[in-house]
Amino acid sequence: MPSYDVMPEVQLYQPTEVDDALNLAEKFRQQGWLLGGGQDTYGWLKDRAKNPTALIDLNDIEAFKGIKTTSAGIEIGALTTLRDIIRDPLINDHFPILAKAAGRVASPQIRNVGTLGGNLIQDTRCWYYRRGLACYRAGGNICYADSPEGMNREHALFNASRCVAVSPSDTATALVALNATMIIKNIDGDREMSAEDFFVGPDTHITQMTALEPGEILTGIKLSNEWSKARYYFEKIADRDVWDFALVSIAVVIKEEANTILDSRMVCGGVACTPYRLTKVEQYLKSNPLSEKTINKAAKIASQGAETLNYNHFKIPLMENLVKRALRS
Amino acid sequence: MELATLKKDVWGREVILGASWDLLWVILALTFIGIAVHAIVVATKKRKAAPDSSGKRIERHEKIDRIFHWVMAVSMIILLITGIFPKIGIEFAWLTIHWVAGLLLTVIIIFHIFRSIFWQNLKDMWIGLNDLKEPFDESYKPGKYSLAQKSLHASVTILTLLVIISGIIMFALIDTPWWERTNALSEDMLGWVFLTHGLVSLALVAIISLHIYFGLRPEKLFYTRSMIKGWISEHEKNENHDQEKWVSKN
Repeated sequence: MPSYDVMPEVQLYQPTEVDDALNLAEKFRQQGWLLGGGQDTYGWLKDRAKNPTALIDLNDIEAFKGIKTTSAGIEIGALTTLRDIIRDPLINDHFPILAKAAGRVASPQIRNVGTLGGNLIQDTRCWYYRRGLACYRAGGNICYADSPEGMNREHALFNASRCVAVSPSDTATALVALNATMIIKNIDGDREMSAEDFFVGPDTHITQMTALEPGEILTGIKLSNEWSKARYYFEKIADRDVWDFALVSIAVVIKEEANTILDSRMVCGGVACTPYRLTKVEQYLKSNPLSEKTINKAAKIASQGAETLNYNHFKIPLMENLVKRALRS
Repeated sequence: MELATLKKDVWGREVILGASWDLLWVILALTFIGIAVHAIVVATKKRKAAPDSSGKRIERHEKIDRIFHWVMAVSMIILLITGIFPKIGIEFAWLTIHWVAGLLLTVIIIFHIFRSIFWQNLKDMWIGLNDLKEPFDESYKPGKYSLAQKSLHASVTILTLLVIISGIIMFALIDTPWWERTNALSEDMLGWVFLTHGLVSLALVAIISLHIYFGLRPEKLFYTRSMIKGWISEHEKNENHDQEKWVSKN
């Protein structure tokens, strides 16, 4: 596939009002590309791997930006940059895990312009798919990554169904851990859904990573006070410390008393097509005092059910060790 | 309207991706037009009085064959729903349900093949030259099965065998509890398999729609009853079938 290194002809719309943006999203549907920070846009277009008719630049819509308190917690506009999230005192005070996760996204330059919404809805990094090959995710009938010759070091351990690509978003794991709520708008109104339901697997939606339907815009994220100021742990393991995607990451929030975990939410990134919640570990931790034995058992439970590919076996000990580190922290 | 959709393979060559699912709407439209035309034509004709369903009962389908028919019907409907709905935008986790229903269909078809060879009279279902007289000669009465029933059976046999063979090849190429996928087929071969599976499925949509329509027509309802309860009345048999060609057990 040729790389043209120049933009194709595409219409550019720069709405300043929410209604205009929603009308454009509805008008163009699959042919409209919602543009935030643009950090996962131009490569697709230059490679001609995605060929939208129109770019709908949302950056002039102030209503989609900023962080504000609400009676139930915090609401973050989807167009808020990752840098603003990292530096925001409110988030650092109440939900530092999100600031930590945002701080591990890509590089400072990308975080300066990249938005939370863009980081959440970015497409998978499977290079076969990115290269424009007609794999399952691209509407085809084959997975190139999961084949005897396929290079699948970064691919999924869990919940693969034909496609073995993983979710690349660092902030997604933190938001699922925080039980965030996604605010989605279309011309007919709003709908809200949990972050956990927002990310969808290939068993149901093989050609998309999120529950966003054509014509819809992710406009904001709500964080309730449920997990405000909870003990947290976030760690991302990647080949490079900067400008790289997680091989495995973990986001954990814990409510504890003395040496007992009252409640927790543990989510791994880089191991499934969606942020992978470790519900069995969470349940196990509720009924056991936090000891080294409990931690070791929890790590083993975390990796139960993993189905390795040819080159991603290393993710199992990596994941188990991250669980241990999270619980020991 | 194209039969197949195309894609570029890993080497950049154009290969078949699978059936064009736009054909579904064409197939449905043609099928329902055909049904409507048939319904209108039959309605304009003078209807004969329906034969009496009381009196002596003749066994038409043994219990095991009725169970086979309805298990096949259920598995086929599940296969069509799980196979086609995701293609028209109704998305759900369909793959496992699809291959489990596919396995069930395969097993019962194998059972049916053995049963029809060793326990049933295969000739009852074969289409002979004499059967071709039926549409042109009102006095001609068929044996146990009419030409329409035999034709439907022959069509379903061919289509089901094709869909099973292509389905088994596709099944070998996905992860299952028993093996890991191999991607052993070249992309152009894979495309032909998907195309066969898709087109045959679309043909089955038409055939099954017609089958349901004829099964629900008032003058044919006694056949549907026989597929549920097993019997037709002696009057129904005498009216519709040749006694010498269909020698019933009771």
